[in-house]
Amino acid sequence: MTNAITKRRPAAADSNQQMIQSEAKYRGLLEAAPDAMVVVDEEGSIVLVNVQAEKQFGYPRDELIGRKVTDIIPSGFAERLVADELRSPEEALAQQIGAGIELTAMRKSGAKFPIEIMLSPFEGVDGILVTAAIRDISRRKAAEADLIELNRSNEELSQFAYIASHDLQEPLRMISSYTQLLAQRYAGKLDADADEFIAFAVDGAERMQRLIQDLLAYSRVGTKGMTVTLISSQKSLDLALANLGSAIADSGARITSDELPPVRADEMQLVQLFQNLIGNAIKYRSAKAPEVHVSAIQRRGKWQFAVKDNGLGIEAQYFERIFGMFQRLHTRREFSGTGIGLAICRKIVERNGGEISVTSEINQGSTFRFSLGAAT
Amino acid sequence: MKNTAMGIDVLLVEDSLGDVRLTQEAFRAANSEIRLHVVMDGVEALGFLAQKGAYSDAPRPDLILLDLNLPKMNGREVLKHIRSDDGLKSIPTVILTTSDSAIDINQSYTLHANSYLSKPVHLDKFESVVRSINDFWFEKAQLPQAG
Repeated sequence: MTNAITKRRPAAADSNQQMIQSEAKYRGLLEAAPDAMVVVDEEGSIVLVNVQAEKQFGYPRDELIGRKVTDIIPSGFAERLVADELRSPEEALAQQIGAGIELTAMRKSGAKFPIEIMLSPFEGVDGILVTAAIRDISRRKAAEADLIELNRSNEELSQFAYIASHDLQEPLRMISSYTQLLAQRYAGKLDADADEFIAFAVDGAERMQRLIQDLLAYSRVGTKGMTVTLISSQKSLDLALANLGSAIADSGARITSDELPPVRADEMQLVQLFQNLIGNAIKYRSAKAPEVHVSAIQRRGKWQFAVKDNGLGIEAQYFERIFGMFQRLHTRREFSGTGIGLAICRKIVERNGGEISVTSEINQGSTFRFSLGAAT
Repeated sequence: MKNTAMGIDVLLVEDSLGDVRLTQEAFRAANSEIRLHVVMDGVEALGFLAQKGAYSDAPRPDLILLDLNLPKMNGREVLKHIRSDDGLKSIPTVILTTSDSAIDINQSYTLHANSYLSKPVHLDKFESVVRSINDFWFEKAQLPQAG
């Protein structure tokens, strides 16, 4: 083993070498960063940039270095760095660390674009430098704006449906009541044609009334405020069954359930959901007495409920269609109803952050599955 | 029980002609002793109750049926006026309106309506409501006596 005596360099040169090496490493990291990196000194002048910054702002780097950062970020950044009577540079900086700040930046062309910047301090030889990681969030902003617009338009549609249904009720009541009055008072007193005409008018008015009430019910799911709390889904089911009392008794239906979990949801909506699904199971029954079983399993962090019946079943080609508004698979003579029930179910489920679907076989029965509420 | 030999006067405050006629028909069928007086806005209602000017021969009603949505002065305001007038406050006043909103219902009771009825959409249910009004107020309940 040779005793290699390493030549010891003078101390100052040594630490200088370290400095140069660490700076080189630092520049390397900066250069490779996926966001635009801009390093700014205490006076707000740009001292270092990376290639992303050149691309984002449209300047070659020699045009960026030495430029005031306000040329590329007109306001909101430089001010935050500046020590004023109230704050030292350290304090001014400390207030911004860690916060992603949304600002407006400007390219060489003069075009403005939204950015998010994250700041971190760097103790350089000549004082505190601030490294800003700058991200162009134009796309995110556009998506946010689209979402806001979509929500607003949904809200407007819901309100429109509510107002339209609400205001339509009044003249419809007049048509409905007076045709019924005509039927009452003149049935058999005019000729047979008149009786038939009146009967059609009465029937039409009644159907329109039901449609409007269903439309109102549907729009209310969207507009009425939700109270989301931890509730007992078992209790919701029991309430729904109580509401379906006479339908259950008349059909001889047997409803069973597994032990159902507590869920985070709007209780009234969950009751309505169970009521619609089980009501359908009873209504669209086969020759056998209806049997309905309700169960729940945990799936992907949510509770997935299943309502399984032994009724008429649904053809696969209609699995999606039945959830549409006013969509029916039978004539009015076969089954009453406006076809809004499942549309309401879907709206409730979606409003509670879940999904609903059906599997079924003709004459075997159907299973409706819906998810909602985070599994606690 | 109301002395029906004197007849029964009901003031209907309702702005829809269609509803007025329906109510008239329903009352006629429920109890022919009832004289239904009709005014079509809140200002006329107060004029009727004041028994002045054009209404100097108007009788004091045994029951007021009050719609909420009225032009010029809505039903809530009419109710407030009735309940703050010493001469009128004892007249049984029942809200009869299309709205079934909880806000309207609660407000009406807070303003001391005697009760609140939503007009049913079906004619036969509406006729049944009118029969109930007759049955409760004019055959079962005791009404305030004059003097």
